[in-house]
Amino acid sequence: MKAVVLDGIVLGLQFGLLGVGMTLVYGLGGVLNLAYGQMAVLAAMVVAVTLGAGAPALVASGAGLLAAAAAGVVLDRTLMRPVYRQRGEHRVLLGLLLTLGVAFVIDGLLLWRYPSGALRLAIGGEAVPILGVRMRVGSLWATGISLAVAALLLGFRATTPGRAAHSVIQDEVGARLVGINPAAVRTFIFAASGALAALVAQTRSMTSPVGVTAGFDFTILALIVAVVGGLGSVAGAFLAGVLLGIVSTVSAFYIGQYITTIVLLAAAALTIVLRPRGLLGRSP
Amino acid sequence: MTAEPDAAVDADAAPLGVSARPPRSLARAYWPIVATGAVLALVPLWLGDSRLMMGLAIDALVFGAYAVAFNVIFGSTNQLFLCVGALAGVGGYGSVILADRAGLPMVVAMLLATAVATALGGLLSWVAVRRSLDVIFTGIVTLAFSLSFANLLLGQRELTGGETGLVVSAGPDTFLGERVAAYYLFLGMLVAFLVVFRALQRSHVGWAFRALRDNELAAELAGVDVARYRVYAGLVGSAMLGITGAVFAHSDGFISPSTFEFGHVDVRVLVMLAFGGLGTLLGPVLGTVVFAVLDEVLIDFGQFRTVLYGLLIIALFLGFKRGAVPAVADLVRRLLARRSRSS
Repeated sequence: MKAVVLDGIVLGLQFGLLGVGMTLVYGLGGVLNLAYGQMAVLAAMVVAVTLGAGAPALVASGAGLLAAAAAGVVLDRTLMRPVYRQRGEHRVLLGLLLTLGVAFVIDGLLLWRYPSGALRLAIGGEAVPILGVRMRVGSLWATGISLAVAALLLGFRATTPGRAAHSVIQDEVGARLVGINPAAVRTFIFAASGALAALVAQTRSMTSPVGVTAGFDFTILALIVAVVGGLGSVAGAFLAGVLLGIVSTVSAFYIGQYITTIVLLAAAALTIVLRPRGLLGRSP
Repeated sequence: MTAEPDAAVDADAAPLGVSARPPRSLARAYWPIVATGAVLALVPLWLGDSRLMMGLAIDALVFGAYAVAFNVIFGSTNQLFLCVGALAGVGGYGSVILADRAGLPMVVAMLLATAVATALGGLLSWVAVRRSLDVIFTGIVTLAFSLSFANLLLGQRELTGGETGLVVSAGPDTFLGERVAAYYLFLGMLVAFLVVFRALQRSHVGWAFRALRDNELAAELAGVDVARYRVYAGLVGSAMLGITGAVFAHSDGFISPSTFEFGHVDVRVLVMLAFGGLGTLLGPVLGTVVFAVLDEVLIDFGQFRTVLYGLLIIALFLGFKRGAVPAVADLVRRLLARRSRSS
């Protein structure tokens, strides 16, 4: 049982990171980025290719992060412009449709170029006992990185750019009045969201391969985590991620793999129905 | 949603889609449906010899029917049902299992399965309304239902055949298996759905729909029972989805999870409807035709097809933010106004 819960936390922290990238972009720009998973897969392919070319692991990993962040910046600076000009539900719908188009483009290009591409970061070494449970080294690395980034994200709130971002989420007009440029903050957050997607693609690949077709699965998972946690809430996304991660591994262990997806989805739907703003969402 | 001061916000930011009142006169309200039906009825004369092309035409009509149903639910009452494929799948799989396994007569099986789909859609709508979920949250709950249904299909192998799907024995040996006859049946269903959509628009239900689309709070204050009308739309749309899925299953003779898959059905229906124009009568039909033609044109591009499809979606939505039907209607209106001014 303890092992199962620990595995759930390992998985859940990555769910959480994935959700944060989605939730932040929504909080700032009102855009649900349906190309989010494709940004993750793009990064995974960049890492796989640079590793294949003989680059050291850190360089390859950095290239992946940069590629996804750059994709985020380009998206924000070009296609998202007309979206930000819309308001309310128009903005949400136009954002959904345009990023869906981008998702198809990235998916198509990657599949065309690397039809059977997959990233698998093999991390060697003996399993390490943690709290009496033997954990694989890959899982530990994935968890360490996720925790470090989570701490960084929560710490980021206290810095000046972090406060700027938070003020834009809370009240865009107010933020402008105190001299914050929402457009610049949004670009920054879009880039950060890309980097987060890239990071999750890499930590995931430490325990199981990330294939070239995984894009939409990442996107749907990120959407569910972000919504269950409460759109716009970083802590909520982590909380939702960890809870869903534990639900997922516990049900996979006790009930079986095939029912797990259904249990996971039911848990997500139930949370939304019980708390229509998400776990830590603000009321409108 | 916060205001957007760093760019000129589109001043005419009406609610999503179109809430225009339908024409009063009976003839003006229904002639577009008659015209559409007449034009589409000519298609078999042109393609009738090719079984393959007729199959594609039937697929297009089925998607048209899905899009009209989705238009009733999302276009009229703003409930983002991301379970179009799943509800059609409840109709399709339900009917096939009831007919082939339980031995019920095919028509009874279709009706029962449609009733189940209707009840499920109504239930989803009722939950969303009771908990006052907004667009995105409704979307995620229905998406969760959709993905669960897909998993159930894969898991219940002995009943659904799992990934390999089911060969349907009831139906294909009747007229449903003949492509031209099936085409006219689906065309009849599409026209009937359009008539229902227009009749709803023109009735007091349509007034309520428009009121709650334009301003939900104001509608509520004016005495419109928002909850009840949302559930009505959910029920009517789900019934359309269920019966379409059921008839399609028996006519096609083979169903598999991918027939009703989210990525295959819902994404396409949303794109089609958003392109044609949410809440418009002919938007779903226009979207269906445009994307059916696009599919045929793009098929030669092989692997590159997805990329072009994505680029087209981007270009189309940058061009027509509010849908093609309203854009064309605007253009016509402007041309007419210029002519009357010059004369």
